[in-house]
Amino acid sequence: MAEAKALKTGKEAEPLKLEAVGREITVAAKARIVQQGEAPEYFYVVRKGRLQVFRETADAIRTNLTELGPGAYFGEVALVTGQPRTASVEALEESVLVQISKEEFDWVLDNNPGLARHIIQQLSQWLVAGDRRVEAEVVHQVKLRQISWFDYVLMVGLSIVLALVFNLYNDSGIPLIRGWGEKNTVPEISLNQALDMYRKHEAIFVDARKSAFYNQEHIKGAMNLPEVLFDLMYPMFQFTVAQTEGAKDKPLIVYGGSYSRRFDLEMANLLKNKGFPHVMVLRDYNGWEKVFPLEKKEAIEAASLPLGFAGYLEWLPLSIFLLILIPPIRRSPYLSVAGRVLLGAIFISFALSKIMRPAVFALNVVDYGMMPAWGVNLWALTLPWAELVVALFLILGIRTRAAATLIGVMNIIFIVGLVDAILHHLPINCGCVGEVGEPVNWWKVLKNTGMLAMTIQIFLYDRFLVLDRGGFILRDRKI
Amino acid sequence: MKKYFIKLPAVFGLLMVWLILGGCGESRTPFAGTYQSMEPVAGKNYIDLDLKDDGKGTWTLAGKTVEFTWVVNDNKIWIYTKSGAILIVTPSQDGKILSADMSGDWHPGCPPGSCVVFKRVPKGG
Repeated sequence: MAEAKALKTGKEAEPLKLEAVGREITVAAKARIVQQGEAPEYFYVVRKGRLQVFRETADAIRTNLTELGPGAYFGEVALVTGQPRTASVEALEESVLVQISKEEFDWVLDNNPGLARHIIQQLSQWLVAGDRRVEAEVVHQVKLRQISWFDYVLMVGLSIVLALVFNLYNDSGIPLIRGWGEKNTVPEISLNQALDMYRKHEAIFVDARKSAFYNQEHIKGAMNLPEVLFDLMYPMFQFTVAQTEGAKDKPLIVYGGSYSRRFDLEMANLLKNKGFPHVMVLRDYNGWEKVFPLEKKEAIEAASLPLGFAGYLEWLPLSIFLLILIPPIRRSPYLSVAGRVLLGAIFISFALSKIMRPAVFALNVVDYGMMPAWGVNLWALTLPWAELVVALFLILGIRTRAAATLIGVMNIIFIVGLVDAILHHLPINCGCVGEVGEPVNWWKVLKNTGMLAMTIQIFLYDRFLVLDRGGFILRDRKI
Repeated sequence: MKKYFIKLPAVFGLLMVWLILGGCGESRTPFAGTYQSMEPVAGKNYIDLDLKDDGKGTWTLAGKTVEFTWVVNDNKIWIYTKSGAILIVTPSQDGKILSADMSGDWHPGCPPGSCVVFKRVPKGG
């Protein structure tokens, strides 16, 4: 209004007589008075009503610049610079304007230095304000795209803290590192010595692995006592050993340890505690396959149980993956939002199915045989919490690029594990969604690839419904 | 914008409740009770299986008792041991007969040689 008064009065000593120039016109609501890009002809002063000043790009992205009311004026920039109109002006309601032609405008300026100075001041202010708006928007966009180590430290750190605290109070909690600080008191025997005893029938061989692994391949004549079912199956084992001829005096040689868990050592200790006097393990714990005669069966694909809702959800990223092949959709931020919600729901579902029983998930990790034994429990405790935390960040729109990166990394790890299990014909279930017997197959790899593609799309194009840095962005910003 | 700050956690909360409730499994009541293996295992010993309604249970063989927790999911009983092993038990005849897959995995039909069949017995009997 101060500007309007200044225009009406000009400099106090030299009042502007607006009534001497121009003509009054009435424009209807939604009428466009000035069109961006057209040659300038008139300068306008608003007498009554409300008008919207805006810019529009060729692909129809509209940026509202300001709203004008009684006393305000517009159209001076193009008249002063001689350039085409820099913005469009549209009436928001029926408005009354004073329309001043270019010649009249020039005449007023020539005869009213106060007004000319005022317009120059106004243009300068507009320029400075415009620069500030552009800067603010650039800073906002840069912050939105920024990604820092802190984001990863925050998410991973939060997951580790939550996992450790929860494990303390969880009835089904597990030690952070299995067997940490325990001394190995079980005697070891070389492969050659063991083979010699095997040929002379001087020892009983016990396979401590899960039945599925035993059924696929084992030392011919070896008994199977899965270490994980020891408590339930020991009496049956004890009975079977007692029925074996001459078993009383024979030592037990336990095998079946892997890079991820020394089932052989654990079983040997359990048997020693049950009173078996001569229990040994193989020194080269994974060399038995090359030395002993084996009994093999063709790999049987692990039976699957229904996955439920998460199973259906998992197919959606794959469907969306096909949409990504279409370039305009590929770049759509709406697709990013859909992907965030979808991936978030899938990973929350994954996480909740594993968090309560880390020992079960730890065994799934052991099945893959890729994680060193000291890291199995740490991984089994932390991964479900990381899935949950990252999924929450993704859904809530907090540091979504970092969250998408972490989910992408998880997917890459899952894909590598799955491919390795398929190529080595491991008789295992996926372990991806808790303990359900989800099969390991190429479909599962494809589903994970779909999710990986979604994370890349989110990383590159996500910018809506983002609750982080520079405020909440609901849709394209109106400047 | 304020509306979204209210709606977002609300939607998210509902999602969490739904997922958590979805993970609780089905009612245990139809299968709670005491069972005994139909055949003796480990000599003359039978396995006594006690499934309590609160999700806890015991497995007793040759005087040794092992505690576990159990849930019902997709009409199958899932027994979780402290060591992380799972036994998947398939009920039949309205829960009067239970077939426990002792392989530690699940196989359709319970694999012969790794299957222990239980029958429901009256409490204390």
